[in-house]
Formats: sequence, C-alpha cells, structure tokens
Amino acid sequence: MPTHTAAEQVFFKDPAMDRLMGVTMALATEVYVLRDRLRALESLLAQQGTVDLQSLNQEVDPEALAPHQADRDAFVAHLLSPLLGKESSLGVQP
Amino acid sequence: MSTANARAFSAAQDFLLGAKKFWTTQMYPQLREQNQAPTIGTASPVDERVQDNDLYPFYAWMERHLQRMKYAGRYGLVPWHDTQRPALEAALAPVEVPTVPHFAVPDYYPSFDVHQHPGGLMGDSLAGFVYERGARSTTPLDKHFDLHHRFTRQVSAVTSPQRILDVGCGFGKSTRPFAQQFAQAQVTATDLSMPCLKLARHLDAQENITHVRYLQADACATGLKAGGYDLVTSTMLLHELPTTHLAELFVQAHRLLEPGGWTVHLDFLPQVQPGCDDFTDFIHAGHAVRNNEPYMQSLAAFDLRGHLQSLGFTDIGITPFAENDHALDPSYPYWRFPWAVVQARKPM
Repeated sequence: MPTHTAAEQVFFKDPAMDRLMGVTMALATEVYVLRDRLRALESLLAQQGTVDLQSLNQEVDPEALAPHQADRDAFVAHLLSPLLGKESSLGVQP
Repeated sequence: MSTANARAFSAAQDFLLGAKKFWTTQMYPQLREQNQAPTIGTASPVDERVQDNDLYPFYAWMERHLQRMKYAGRYGLVPWHDTQRPALEAALAPVEVPTVPHFAVPDYYPSFDVHQHPGGLMGDSLAGFVYERGARSTTPLDKHFDLHHRFTRQVSAVTSPQRILDVGCGFGKSTRPFAQQFAQAQVTATDLSMPCLKLARHLDAQENITHVRYLQADACATGLKAGGYDLVTSTMLLHELPTTHLAELFVQAHRLLEPGGWTVHLDFLPQVQPGCDDFTDFIHAGHAVRNNEPYMQSLAAFDLRGHLQSLGFTDIGITPFAENDHALDPSYPYWRFPWAVVQARKPM
C-alpha cells in the first residue's frame, strides 16, 4: 500500500483513467504470475507423466465444451454487465 | 529459509520488464513519429502538441508506474528483499567501510526517493541490494552493465591512470570495470550510501577484486588529499546533484587531480545527442519528473564547458556516448538515455 499522502502524478485528462490503469496493470501482473505458475505445474506434471501436454493443447471438441457454456456465459455476464450501466438493486433516484 | 514465493516475484518482475520493452520499442517510436516537429512554418511547442495526442498519456503513465510497480507493491523489489532480510543482512554483517572525517549527508539527498525507490538509497540496510537488483533491468534492450566496460575502454584511450577516484560509486557497478580495466591502479571509490558501499565491497570480494578502497564520503567534500589522483571519474552522478553541488564537484575534481590528470564523467545530456530536437528535450524532462530525478534538468541547463574553463581545465570534451553499436545512429528508433561523456584535463 502507498505510504505517502502526497498525490500521485496524473497523466490523463480524467484522473480516473490513471487509477483504472493502475488496477488494470496490477491485474495483468497477477495474470502473468498465474500463467507462469501454470506453465511450471504443467511442465512438472508432464515430466512425471501425469499429463500429456500434446493432448492438453489440442482444440477441444465442441461437444466437450457444451457442458461449460453456462459457466462461460455467466463469466462473460459478470465481466461485461457493468458496461450496461444498470442498477442491480433498486436505488433512490436522484 | 524464507518461504516467500520467489517464482511469483521473478515472474512479476519479468512481466514488468516485458512491458518496459514494449514501451521502449513500440510506444516511444510511435509517439516520436506522431510528434515529429515540422521543419518549416509555425510549429507549436511539443508540450502543446502532446495535449491532443492519445498515446502520450499512456506513454507517460507507463513510464511512471512500471517503475513504481518494479520497486513497490506486492511484487516490488523493496518488499521482496524485506522477505530475505535475515540472510541479506548476515551477508553484509562482516563488511566494514570507513567513513571520512567530518562526513555529513547533504540535506537534498534524503529529501526524496530517487528512482521511486521507497526509502531511497540510505533509508534501509538492504537499499544496496534493492538498487543492484533494480539496475539489472534499467533498460530492457541493453545489458546495463556492458556500458560501464564501454566507458572504461573509452577512458583508456585517453589516459592510463595509476590512482583513480570514482565518486558516487553506488554498489561499485562503475568501479569494478575501472578496477578490471586498470588492474595495476590504486582505486578509491566513494558514495553517500553505506548500504551501497557495503554491497560494493561484498561484490568485489565475490569477484576477487581486492585493490579498491571504499569510503563513505560526499563527492563534493571528500577531504581526500589534494593532487592525489590522476583520474577523477563518476558514472550517473552529475544528474543526481543540485547545481551548487554540481559546480563544487568540478572544483573538488580540480583540487584532487595532479597536474595532467583527467576528470571524466558519464551522464545524461540530451543536447549533445545526434538529431536532438524539442521532442528529445521534452521526453527527457518528462522522464526526470516521472522517475523522481529533480536535478536532471538543471544538469541539462548547466554550462559545463564554461564552468570547466573557468576552473582552468583544458582539453574539454562533451560528446555523446554509444551504449550499443547503433545507439548514435540518428535513425535509432527506440527510447534511450541521452548518454554523454564529459571530460577535461588539469594542465601540467
């Protein structure tokens, strides 16, 4: 966490963009850390014969994906529904 | 043994380095292309031109915050080294570096966190380790350590010193190449930061370098013997000094040199770079602010040649320095520091 009270430098016309960039880059770093971890796990498991990387990397048959479509749709809705700008609960209208 | 996740730390740092490489090789060239000043007519100043540029805020943000994320936050260098504290402090425990008499830390030095390094270079016993690790990824295209050897080879074409003083030596990154290039020379190296000096000695021992004497001293008030050196040098120190200290540094260099000795400094001067224009200056000035380097601009504005002449130096040279074989090509597309060498001789 920041330890100083002075305001951070601002580069965008809307300072909110500066802060959102910070959140985005922090998430991107976490994604890369997870990718690295996954790669390491897969490599170890392949060395031990637990997984076959060639099979793992094959395109998934549409029939195999079908059971996961609801999960996919829920993920997308969770990610993108804020773009619609609608309330999730009944608020007090200004 | 620490249970901290070294893999996550190194992966995050690697991601940040990759982002810095993108910034260096993709964002900067595009920004430069979009802001090329017209050669005729009534061109608006570059700081006005960037106001309407969509890329510039992202460019500036990335420069500021990739450095912030490198040093601070969950995967930052400072918190990471803190997880290794017992082992790192134990490594430096037997190392002793003397302090010169009447040593005092100048007021400006601890008044801001240089390079966005929380606590600066004196604020913590591990500051040297943090600085050293950070220096490994200062520039994503060139191995930053190589340029020191390029610099010492360039110095060797000018002089063959026997008594070298390297001021502002940090953790010895500039000193070791001098000690290796001039293996028969007596080398003295000074810095304000004791954590850096202790690490310098520690790293010297690992490389079997035994002929460097490290001292905690202000480069502008070393108290060392007048005329005791035939080379007074620094690397990336000049831009760290307020103007009064910058001026005094060369006064001291003149005092410390024997007649015929050289003072040679590697630093940043945008105005001597091939193809320098208002965009070059603007980018450099912005870097100074974004990287917590308050005296970079005062160095760029300082009349180095006039000051050296007024002190009686001769053979003054202020020239661009190539950190790689292509860096001084005017068409070199990528972001780079405006490296320059300042050299002068004390008359016989």
